[in-house]
Amino acid sequence: MTAPAPALRRALDWGKLAPLRLRAKTVADGVYAGGHRSRRRGAGIEFGGQRSYVPGDDLRFIDRHALLRHGTLLVRQFETETDRTLCLLVDASLSMSYRSEQAPGPKYAYAALMAAALCKIAVAAGDRVSLDWFGGERTVELATAGGREAFERVVGALETAQPSADLKSDLAALERAVARVERRAGRGSTVIVLSDLLDLPEGAEVALGSLGARGKTLTVARVLDPAEVSFPFTGPLHLRALEGEARVETDAAAARPEYLAALEAQASRWSTRLLSRGGSLVRLDSSEDPVKAVRKLLDSVGGLA
Amino acid sequence: MSFLVAAALGVGLFVAIPIAAHLLRRGRARERDFPPTALVPAARSVARERATLEDRVLLAIRALLIACLAVIGATPFVQCSRLSLSRSAGASVAFALVVDDSHSMRAQADDGSVRFERALRAARELLASAREGDAIAIVLAGRPARLALAATTDLNAARRALAELTESDRSTDLEGAVGLARTSIASVPHLDKRVVLLSDLAGAALTQSQPALWAPVPELARPLENCAIFAAEQRGRRIAAHVACTSPAAAAGRAISVVGDKTNKPLALAARAGIQELGLELDPKLERPELELNGGDALKADDRCPLAAESAALGVMVAADASNASVETGGPPVLEQALSALESNAALHPVALLPDDSNEYRNNALLLFDDPGGITPEARSALNGFVEQGGVAVAFLGPRVDQTPLGATLEPFVHGAVHWEAKPTGDVDEASLAWLGPEANSVHDLKLSGRAGLSTSDLLGARILATFTDGQPFLTERELGRGALFTVALPTSVEHGNFPLRPAFLALLDHFLHEARRRRGATQSVAGSEWSFPNGASITIEGPRGALVAHERAQGSGAALKSVIPTVAGRYTLRVDDKPEERVVTVDPSEITTLPQKLPDSATQARANAAAGSVDASPELGFVALALLALELGVRAYRRFMRERSSRAVTAH
Repeated sequence: MTAPAPALRRALDWGKLAPLRLRAKTVADGVYAGGHRSRRRGAGIEFGGQRSYVPGDDLRFIDRHALLRHGTLLVRQFETETDRTLCLLVDASLSMSYRSEQAPGPKYAYAALMAAALCKIAVAAGDRVSLDWFGGERTVELATAGGREAFERVVGALETAQPSADLKSDLAALERAVARVERRAGRGSTVIVLSDLLDLPEGAEVALGSLGARGKTLTVARVLDPAEVSFPFTGPLHLRALEGEARVETDAAAARPEYLAALEAQASRWSTRLLSRGGSLVRLDSSEDPVKAVRKLLDSVGGLA
Repeated sequence: MSFLVAAALGVGLFVAIPIAAHLLRRGRARERDFPPTALVPAARSVARERATLEDRVLLAIRALLIACLAVIGATPFVQCSRLSLSRSAGASVAFALVVDDSHSMRAQADDGSVRFERALRAARELLASAREGDAIAIVLAGRPARLALAATTDLNAARRALAELTESDRSTDLEGAVGLARTSIASVPHLDKRVVLLSDLAGAALTQSQPALWAPVPELARPLENCAIFAAEQRGRRIAAHVACTSPAAAAGRAISVVGDKTNKPLALAARAGIQELGLELDPKLERPELELNGGDALKADDRCPLAAESAALGVMVAADASNASVETGGPPVLEQALSALESNAALHPVALLPDDSNEYRNNALLLFDDPGGITPEARSALNGFVEQGGVAVAFLGPRVDQTPLGATLEPFVHGAVHWEAKPTGDVDEASLAWLGPEANSVHDLKLSGRAGLSTSDLLGARILATFTDGQPFLTERELGRGALFTVALPTSVEHGNFPLRPAFLALLDHFLHEARRRRGATQSVAGSEWSFPNGASITIEGPRGALVAHERAQGSGAALKSVIPTVAGRYTLRVDDKPEERVVTVDPSEITTLPQKLPDSATQARANAAAGSVDASPELGFVALALLALELGVRAYRRFMRERSSRAVTAH
């Protein structure tokens, strides 16, 4: 599947982020076009440095030359070339279709661009990629695969999917998606969740946080629209959530400080919870330069040495 | 209303458009999708309320603007309630404004404004519609009727004259004012002449003649409920209060009391229209007491009246021999009966002989001396003192002039011998008495049996005011100090002729009373009455509205007097040659009891004489429309400024 469905084109305005395939390649080229190395050190081929011996270290790695020459116990380390699996979990709930006047496209489109760019980079480095969803329609889960074909399939799936579904009270759907990812991701895999983290059901933090267990690297990218970040409205407002039944009548100037504080508190809560599971939270603004955004993600997962 | 007018006014229906837009806009909430709505707190802020308020202001401005445009489109077809003059074929108009400045015009109209102010406003509106070439005269209808501005084409002078008019407590002389108004514009060459009555029409019945009358403000003549204390005089330990009411309803439930008197209860008025006299106890501890009517009515100013001193009523000393000067049916002398018939509110003091001491003249302003048989030197001296201090003395000479005893004379009335001519003579010359008024016509065929021959005596410089048909003096007047001496060549006894039975006799007595009031200055007088003082006297007068200045005025005899006319009721403090004096000015009761007369419908209709016309209000409405536009721009600029400031705050955040 290389071309998006015409119906989806009509349903989702990709804005300045289309076409996804070219944009993803451009972004990936702008970020990094080479392979990446694992930060895991241990048994391997390429020398990775020395460190002082601590009791319990494997005696096979003691540097005998250094012991004989300097009388100091040092342990030799090696870097391991790994083909790390990149597991993408994309939020395609209805709130991801939001796009304000300041944004170049919907949040979903921006998340798709991030996912495609990451996929391109991973594939270029020889890593394998899988794609899973929570929420959305016409979503296609892609099993772990590598190579150019994998990139094409990921892009096709991203273009086909349509944000929908109200996950506000559907924790089971989220847990099912998390379980699929856990099944695909082995030790050393990198899991990147692309979501606005809005209108998720109670327990979503726990469910998503569990993806950071068992040697996996978890990064949650919170993709927000610039309007959600700055709340630029003025005057009286009547707001309606895309998921759930929340409706609020308020005044922009009066509500802005409290809203921004609540948003920050939510981000802090997620960050704290993810850190406790070895994960991290990256905050993205859909008006932000995609290249920089991908670099932030790679920095977070340690993909760039 | 023509089709054009209806169509133009129909534009006003477009007022519905901004109203509908406002309602639609208000009904459509600015609802928008926003995923993190759950994080947004609900708040109904000042900003929304301010926006609502601004929306309403804008709505009102736009609606008014459309209404203005509609009326501008309809003018000059639309008539305005403002008074104006229309003119036939565009010709100039001469009109006399009769502005009533009497006491009754101080009442409140139905709309809460004072009648006098309403009349002035109407006069200003009429003046505003006058053009160059129109002649305007202004006449005041407070007694006496006065010409405030002779007919002139100077509109600025008319405006200045109007601006100087003030309300007063004078009585009404509407008939005289209308006559004066007609006279004032009689000589102007304009063909279109009008007399505009700005009055409550409470006065003598008016006759319709040319120029026709027009009362453009009929609401001024609506009946009102009012009671007034028009006089209050101390009589020993009691107070005689005179109250007048327009109707029984006005008097019902009201009571009179002395201000500050806590010992005596208020005295209720009888629930009837007209004049009533009430007696109250006077607390001697009160200083400068005043009487007050409780409750309220259309004219509050006359609900309070200062108490006049005991001698307030005009004292009239009558020296008449009851045996000679009475009628055969009995009763008091003719003089006293005539004074009672005049209802002059005078206090009569009958005496048998003239006093020898001038102090005995105290509390009297007029001496009526019937058929004097001579005046002794002591009495003469006292009389001279009385007259010089402002008293008026009248001698009705009769047969006793021939019986003057030795040492007694008729001075200071006449000098020398006066003889009684006991033979049929001619009547009094009606023409010489014409100044007395219509009553002068009643002096023919008097059947006189005699008269005092004044031609042989020295009149001491007296002025002859009236004569007999043969030219002999009938009535003379001699000035002496502040007062005057009158000599009548006939007695008051009906045995010597019918003169005391004729209306002219009463008119003559009224003239003497008027002179007495004017010269002596009763301590209680009606507003608008003149107070006279010797020319050389130093006079200071302090009244309810501040100081009054006495002006010098020439008399007919050539002598000069100082005079002042108090026009406001209340207590006045005078110093005449350092002698303190206190006088009370009251309201004429006829101002209360006289009801407005009804003029013909043609005189009260707005279009009488085609005097009210269409008014082009376009300039004023144009300015209003411009102001509304400016206001809308201002409001919009303000809203924009507030929005931008809010946006800057968001950006900075």
